[in-house]
Amino acid sequence: MTTTNTDLPLNHQPGHIKHDGHNLTGFIIFLCSESIIFLAFFIGFALLKTTAPEWLPEGVEGLETRMPLINTIVLVSSSFVAYFAERYLHQKNLWGFRALWLLTMAMGAYFVYGQYIEWSELEFGLSSGVFGGTFFLLTGFHGLHVITGILLMALMLLRSFRANNYDKGDMGVTSVSLFWHFVDVIWIILYLLIYVWQRTT
Amino acid sequence: MTSTKYDPRILKTQHPVPGAPDNWKRFFTFNTDAKVIGIQYMCLALIFLLIGGLLAMVMRGELITPPADLVDPSVYNGLYTMHGTIMLFLFLFPVLNGFNNLLIPTMIGAPDMAFPKLNAAAFWLVPVFAIVLLASFFVPGGPASSGWWSYPPVSIQNPLGHFINGQFLWILAVALSGVSSIMGAVNFVTTIIRMRAPGMGYFRMPVFIWTAWAAQTLQLIGLPALTGGAIMLLFDLSFGTSFFLPEGGGDPVLYQHFFWFYSHPAVYVMVLPVFGIFSEVITVYSRKPLFGYKFVALASFIITFLGLIVWVHHMFYSGTPQWMRNLFMVTTMLIAVPTGVKVFAWLGTLWGGKIRLSTPMLFVLGGLINFIFGGITGVMLGTAPIDIHVGNTYFVVAHFHYIIFNTIGFGIFAGIYHWFPKFTGRMYYEGLGKVHFVLTFIGATLNWLPLHWAGLLGMPRRVASYDPEFAIWNVIASIGAFMLGVASIPFILNIVSSWVRGPKAPANPWNAIGLEWLLPSPPPAENFEDDVPTVISEPYGYGLGKPLVEDQNFYVRRSMEA
Amino acid sequence: MTSTTPKPKKGLSLRLILILLSLVGLNLLVSLQIAQWSFSWLPVAASTAAPYVDGLFSLEVGMGAFLFNGCVGFILWSVIANRAEKYDESDGLPIEGNTKLEIIWTVIPFIIVMALAIYSIDVNGKLDTLGPKNKYDVAENQSPKTVASLDGLSEVGPIEVISRQWNWEFVYPNGVRSSELHLPIDQRANFLLTSKDVIHSFYIPAFRLKQDIIPGSVISYSITPTREGRYRLRDAHFSGAYFSENQTHVIVQSKDDYASWLQSTNERPLVPGLSPGTVQYQKRLSKGNKGWATVPPAPPPMVNDPGNPDDPHEA
Repeated sequence: MTTTNTDLPLNHQPGHIKHDGHNLTGFIIFLCSESIIFLAFFIGFALLKTTAPEWLPEGVEGLETRMPLINTIVLVSSSFVAYFAERYLHQKNLWGFRALWLLTMAMGAYFVYGQYIEWSELEFGLSSGVFGGTFFLLTGFHGLHVITGILLMALMLLRSFRANNYDKGDMGVTSVSLFWHFVDVIWIILYLLIYVWQRTT
Repeated sequence: MTSTKYDPRILKTQHPVPGAPDNWKRFFTFNTDAKVIGIQYMCLALIFLLIGGLLAMVMRGELITPPADLVDPSVYNGLYTMHGTIMLFLFLFPVLNGFNNLLIPTMIGAPDMAFPKLNAAAFWLVPVFAIVLLASFFVPGGPASSGWWSYPPVSIQNPLGHFINGQFLWILAVALSGVSSIMGAVNFVTTIIRMRAPGMGYFRMPVFIWTAWAAQTLQLIGLPALTGGAIMLLFDLSFGTSFFLPEGGGDPVLYQHFFWFYSHPAVYVMVLPVFGIFSEVITVYSRKPLFGYKFVALASFIITFLGLIVWVHHMFYSGTPQWMRNLFMVTTMLIAVPTGVKVFAWLGTLWGGKIRLSTPMLFVLGGLINFIFGGITGVMLGTAPIDIHVGNTYFVVAHFHYIIFNTIGFGIFAGIYHWFPKFTGRMYYEGLGKVHFVLTFIGATLNWLPLHWAGLLGMPRRVASYDPEFAIWNVIASIGAFMLGVASIPFILNIVSSWVRGPKAPANPWNAIGLEWLLPSPPPAENFEDDVPTVISEPYGYGLGKPLVEDQNFYVRRSMEA
Repeated sequence: MTSTTPKPKKGLSLRLILILLSLVGLNLLVSLQIAQWSFSWLPVAASTAAPYVDGLFSLEVGMGAFLFNGCVGFILWSVIANRAEKYDESDGLPIEGNTKLEIIWTVIPFIIVMALAIYSIDVNGKLDTLGPKNKYDVAENQSPKTVASLDGLSEVGPIEVISRQWNWEFVYPNGVRSSELHLPIDQRANFLLTSKDVIHSFYIPAFRLKQDIIPGSVISYSITPTREGRYRLRDAHFSGAYFSENQTHVIVQSKDDYASWLQSTNERPLVPGLSPGTVQYQKRLSKGNKGWATVPPAPPPMVNDPGNPDDPHEA
């Protein structure tokens, strides 16, 4: 081929195509996929609970529900706080965002602390049959997600102090807040399965 | 209409990216270029094909005589477990991710993946879990030896009682592989949804993109279930829970549901992209448009959907209730319909074509014939009454090797030859390729065809020894297996020598239609860079005389001059 | 088809139709022959279930052969007839598809597959009436007999089948224990399948029946043998190191022979039964316990009739 470039009449104007805004797409896809692990655990829990010849280990009456209920209320309301934090950010009210964002984190931390207290007071362990196994697996796996959420929020909080952080949009905050809502929804299902369902049996 | 004098520097960016380590060294770095990652995936995968194949040949050596005389039965069990695990998680998935990396951005005109760093991280997890898996050969007690299913309770018996044991490392490796695959899947799907060239609507995407998308969707839905099951298995093995142990109220069959919910679709994860490769190759070498493109494209997602609701056919005789057996028998048989649509479409594409039997086409036609055969035996296995006789026998082994090697493996070889010039910039040697095909086809047929009869007569799978009446089938199979080993020699010779000193490849050696063929060979780091073509017609417009993209001549010329 | 198509042909000529029809007819004959042969690919049929399974298998082999021959024939014909000349760089017929044809080859396979599925469901139901397979959860130290509801139609049994790593033990209603399974011909026998350790599978190829045995549950399972002879019973679910050795015999006898065997065996003393795993494991230990880790085999069960593993079997 010769290397001479001739003028070609072109129908198009060469230029760069912007490929922005797919971070959120990717994150939503990831969350959908992540929810399947929980779904698998939930189905496993339900099947084991309905088929196990003996569900509760000896000497265990069931689970205490008052503390977990308070925990649940705190965690679920933190979702609303996170939502308002995000609203402040859209209104460019940075300090309002930071305050509510920190409050969300604190509420999340309270939840984790409550979980820790509950775990340490239980009279059964991980190896107490399928009851103990599923309880610790589900709450533990969810707890890991809560902790991850708090860490991600901390990261977003620190980043908010960086100059020009939101010039390219606030995709990070949106993603983390989405993750937080996800963690809350999972907890509601989990609470219904583990704490509420036991009364009917 | 604007007349632009195009900048000759476009597409002249050095390959590799300036500043990055030069030539071969870039393949050993955390490079974020999808084309580098694609080649990394493929080369690593092919090395593991050799390792997995070597294990298989030891197994076939053991099985050439009825008694367990070459290796101890416990060693045989470890070998077949590792053979399956390596072939799936270290050969098939990585090699197909290699294709995804090479083809998705170039075929849709994207500069790279949506998340290049995530992409590189997903790749570098592969050697990490490879090391974890291979390390299990050296821990006390040997590697996992409960099959690639790792069904409890066998898998959690842990004879020596060590915390770090072969099964522990196996679960760890599989979990890491899952993380890597999910990272890949998020990336591929996002890239396909968000980064297509202007004008490339969903029904202008090449079929490979459709199938890759359908396959990665399956990964996203199915893989987490396996991960969930694997986590529970790990807890049972190492932390004293009893999810799958009847002693603590658990249920061993529950694991089978978790496992097969993913691992049956996993077959479609692997076979769908190969259907894509079939569609790409058949059109080029028949010089015809794909017959019923839209049907073929949509059939991919129908397979995805049906693939998710068939898993119980692996448990027809596990004490599954009758209604479930009947239900899953119906869904299993239904899969024959969308796959049939694809097969008939390929046949329709051959009709009246100008067929050229180059190496990729030979592999595709061979693979297609094998797939029709494997599909038929698949329907037989999906029929509960027949499955109750042949399930867990060598009939199953023969069937799934017909799919997994004789179809998927053939498709992979076809893809490697077909796109070799594009991504290495060198032509391969046609003669060696044909030798490779002939040896592979004869070897594979000798290896797996006779085993159907061994299975029909009742030879269980996973045996280290067997009754003498099965000897004849096994001798033939072993000869075929060794022949497959020999077949790898012309392949390696071809790939290595062509890459080093093969003739330089033009931009479009096969005169193929597709965005990737509008790029120079090899494509520059950012593919189309600042000038992505606008797609104006459906793919595979052979003989229609319609340009694929706006200003086609400009792009063709540009790719040739670069 | 697009308007640019240079009209491949207006309609099929009579000659072509005749050729095609005769090819299809030939394919049909060949497929029927293969379907006939397929019966000989299976072991001898020795239970009431076998004819159903074999019939269904033969049907699917015939259909499969027809499809396979047709497709492969078409591919080979295309490759020969439509091969491009050496320097022919031109394109083939630009046919993009044919919606009618595509709908046909979606709908017809759908109908065929559904018909096959309905027929298979029917066979499945028949097999179930021949021998139901019901699974019951069983807690530790619970006797299988108290948990499982027995097959009311059975004439023999319940015979307890106990599987272990790696041996089989059969306990008859009169207390006789054996390492080989004895059954009277033409009588429906009921089994209670249990496993002491991992999942095993009760597989008798000559009977075309296979049932996984899940630890923690008992499976009530019935079969009717229809042919006298000695057949192989194989563990068909991977169960650890000596899985492949975990086989024994099923001996189908006349009613009288079975009764007298049951009678005479009852008087024999208990001896260690057949346990191929133990034998292999001893060999391994004597060679210095080389190889990869395995759980030790369960001790051989104490039985009245240890059987003879060296006797020839038919299938």
